[in-house]
Amino acid sequence: MSIRALIVDDSSVMRKIVERCLRQAGMDLGKVFEASNGAEGLALASVNTFDLILSDINMPVMDGLEFVRRLKEMDNAKNVPIVMITTEGGEKSVLEALSLGAKGYIRKPFTPDQVKEHVIPVLRSQS
Amino acid sequence: MSAFTSSPAGRNSPPLDSWRLLLREAVKEVFSMMVGAEISVPGQADPPVVREVTGMVGLAGELCGVLCLRCSKSCASKIAAKMLAVPVTEAASHMSDAVGEICNMVAGNFKAKIDGLQDKCMLSVPTIIIGGDYEVFSPAVGDRIELPFLFEAEAIWIGLDVRS
Repeated sequence: MSIRALIVDDSSVMRKIVERCLRQAGMDLGKVFEASNGAEGLALASVNTFDLILSDINMPVMDGLEFVRRLKEMDNAKNVPIVMITTEGGEKSVLEALSLGAKGYIRKPFTPDQVKEHVIPVLRSQS
Repeated sequence: MSAFTSSPAGRNSPPLDSWRLLLREAVKEVFSMMVGAEISVPGQADPPVVREVTGMVGLAGELCGVLCLRCSKSCASKIAAKMLAVPVTEAASHMSDAVGEICNMVAGNFKAKIDGLQDKCMLSVPTIIIGGDYEVFSPAVGDRIELPFLFEAEAIWIGLDVRS
């Protein structure tokens, strides 16, 4: 069964790169949903079901940490695995994202192999 | 290594020589990993500064300043085309987004290379200026690193202004 993914990043270019990396990782992606900030991501998550969410942290309107915090309060989305993809790769950001419920963390810049290494185990742990 | 060293005059000065190398490395890594293309350092004469597109990311905290990228519109479109894997003719509308994201990643990758700075320096969201008729004013005295690069025969200048 194909994977329904949500990619949240304020850069449309980055969203396309992440999607390409997921496909290069051999993932059977179905429709990929995109949001440019956490608020848009929450709106999509409230009316759709996802198997995987990838989110930037540093975004306008609503950042990735607040997005994860709110997502975990939603019954239909709280168990969806979340992987953070961000430039803010400090230990503090990593720990905060993980403590909020994110399952993984990828720091920009990244290679397709790094995306694969971080995302595949997260999906396997859910199945 | 801390981000700054004390000078005899008491002013905290960044180690510019080592930071120049780290910034060059950060730029090359971002282009290699995220643009999918190599960026080179000019051999002898520096290329001209073309500032039709300027991307800027602010740094705040222990390291305070601005990182900027300046290039032509043609160059910015080529960067976007490579990142999206589409023809240049389809990439022009994405050039601002691409340049902003490159600035963001270069700044993040650079600060990640300096021990102890990662959690003590935050980045702003990028700002993009289209057009070259502008001047930049800063109230703070600081240091500047400027590095020229060549990407598909076009000049890219990366600047880092550090405020003390």
